[in-house]
Amino acid sequence: MSYIDVLKETQNVMTPGSSACQGCGGELILRRVMQIAGNNSVFAVPPGCMAGAGVDGWNFSNGCTAPIHITLLDNTASFMSGVSEMYQRKGRPDVNIVAIAGDGATADCGFQSLSGAAERGTKMLYVCYDNEGYMNTGYQRSSTTSLGSSTSTTPAGAAINGKEQQQKYLPLIMAMHNIEYCATASPSNMADLVAKIQKGLEASKRGFAYLHVFSPCPTGWKFAPDQSIQVARKAVAANLCPIWECEKGVFKLTPNRKPIPIAEFVRGIGKFKKLTEEEIASIQALVDARYALLEKLAAE
Amino acid sequence: MGKIVAMTGNTAAYTGAALCRPDLIAAYPITPQSSVVEGLAGMVYNGKLDSSFVQVESEHSAMSVVQGAAAAGGRVFTATSAQGLALMYEPYFRMSTLRIPMVMALATREMTSPETIWSGQQDAMSVREAGWIQMFCESNQEILDMMLQAYMIAEDPRVQLPVNVCYDGFYSSHLIEGLEVPSQDEADAFLPPYAGKTYLDPGQPAALDPLTPGDLMMRYRKNHLEAMKAAQEVIEEVDRKFAAQFGRSYGGLIEEYKTEDADVVLVTIGGMSGTGKDAVDDAREKGIKAGLIKLRFVRPFPAERLARALKGKKAFAVVDRSVSFGWSCGPMYMETRAAVVDADRYAHFSAIGGLGGADLSCGHMVSVIEKLEAVKNEPGEHETLWLMND
Repeated sequence: MSYIDVLKETQNVMTPGSSACQGCGGELILRRVMQIAGNNSVFAVPPGCMAGAGVDGWNFSNGCTAPIHITLLDNTASFMSGVSEMYQRKGRPDVNIVAIAGDGATADCGFQSLSGAAERGTKMLYVCYDNEGYMNTGYQRSSTTSLGSSTSTTPAGAAINGKEQQQKYLPLIMAMHNIEYCATASPSNMADLVAKIQKGLEASKRGFAYLHVFSPCPTGWKFAPDQSIQVARKAVAANLCPIWECEKGVFKLTPNRKPIPIAEFVRGIGKFKKLTEEEIASIQALVDARYALLEKLAAE
Repeated sequence: MGKIVAMTGNTAAYTGAALCRPDLIAAYPITPQSSVVEGLAGMVYNGKLDSSFVQVESEHSAMSVVQGAAAAGGRVFTATSAQGLALMYEPYFRMSTLRIPMVMALATREMTSPETIWSGQQDAMSVREAGWIQMFCESNQEILDMMLQAYMIAEDPRVQLPVNVCYDGFYSSHLIEGLEVPSQDEADAFLPPYAGKTYLDPGQPAALDPLTPGDLMMRYRKNHLEAMKAAQEVIEEVDRKFAAQFGRSYGGLIEEYKTEDADVVLVTIGGMSGTGKDAVDDAREKGIKAGLIKLRFVRPFPAERLARALKGKKAFAVVDRSVSFGWSCGPMYMETRAAVVDADRYAHFSAIGGLGGADLSCGHMVSVIEKLEAVKNEPGEHETLWLMND
């Protein structure tokens, strides 16, 4: 079935009326994950943009048609471990156990519980929508924020020019947990994203599945809301978000041997406005090395 | 019929927990609790206990995993001490405020700093405003029995709160005593299978704990306080029910020892109570009319029963194995004073001892009684007595 038919024939689990920003990548990703997982699921969404936007219900006017819980910022994977264990114990492996969390709740304070659940092979799908920072609270930096980004805690100032460190590349760290399924995706490649959500759900019946999705954020990154998909597309084209998957240790990379330069990706994005030539070169070197490593991992 | 077995307090704790047939156990090792986790793991891995055992990477995750399992309708168990309790504070507070029942053993231990691994009750006392029911045990038999009672109290529809079964690290956790272990049939006859609600159920979809406005939050907090109040009656009922089946009664919220005609009263918590009773006997031989009240529950605080038990006495001292920073006394002394509305009709003082594993001896307890006897006719507060050896 084509991804368009999949989306046509599944219901939105999240009702209209959320207060997410225009052009929000996170909401688009969350809606697609939820509708493909369907109502026979238990969802967890920690504090962050999606909980803040009221996906679990607010003011009696919107909500979710499946059971959902706002976990703590740092215990999404461990809370869902308990839910998953109980459903296996009840003889209900059919119920999808799905967490949808931002990069802060995933790569920073939630990382310990995520790593623990992955190492234990908990039967669940964990989806990270990575918008490179704490957007819900006004864009503070996270460990996945790109070098030189101007954020509210790493402003491009006279003494220090934005974030001083390169981003942490979480998907490979997750792949090294020997999990059932690990993949990256982007909302600009919807067919690939839908297929990976389906694969992830399937893998979650056998063990831990992790999906790391690039999530453009017009409000935090300062670009026009109608440019979201374009920004996501360029992130893939520039290899900032290389598309790959790893099934039981076997890597498959979607080739992109003629990437656009990072300089072209950052153009027009407000948070990168004051990037120096050196910083652009440094990000370029990072993404080139990352792609080369992925090519080696995916080599037959 | 149960059998008599010699075992440590930690073994009593996990044996009691196992008799309650938990669906899921998640725990992380920490001194002096570790043998509780090891014991349960051993039972599960040897096929002697049908529970899911989740090997977590921290206490924060231990409490989070059991929270998830309880939200999915399971009877759950964990155990910890001191730093582990501090690390799990975030989901710990949420467990009680979600109003989901569970039981956690707490082998009490001093809080660092100074760096320590030894006994003390500072860990439990520091979380007494986190919404849990907290009970303290004196003997290993009491630890085992309280596991069964704790689930019954926690799961009572009038209560619906998590319960800490606290006992002194090392002094109880590692002490071997002979005790009667009920058979599984006897335990089953006392504690029915868990019929808890599945909060996260695709068959009945609902959001568990969405963002909650203040007006509704106020109602939840009021309900929580009312459940704590209702728990006082439930605790007494469960004690009577347990006594009817097993022939052992612990007195419910408090235990009184030779208080009827006493002039001066020691108030104690946990394992030190046995030493306190010896000191009372010793004082009685010298003609001092001494008695003892053991606080068995810290939350809910047994204010009414405590005030009634102290009524007409001349003096009381509360022995704390922890401190209240900012009040220059022990926390249970502060709360006992608050419970006894007309405190200044008594002579009273705080005694602090046994911190960080320091010995809390019969001599110390005798010194508290001697001071009580000396000041019993001088109503009002007297200086805090530090039970030190130098």
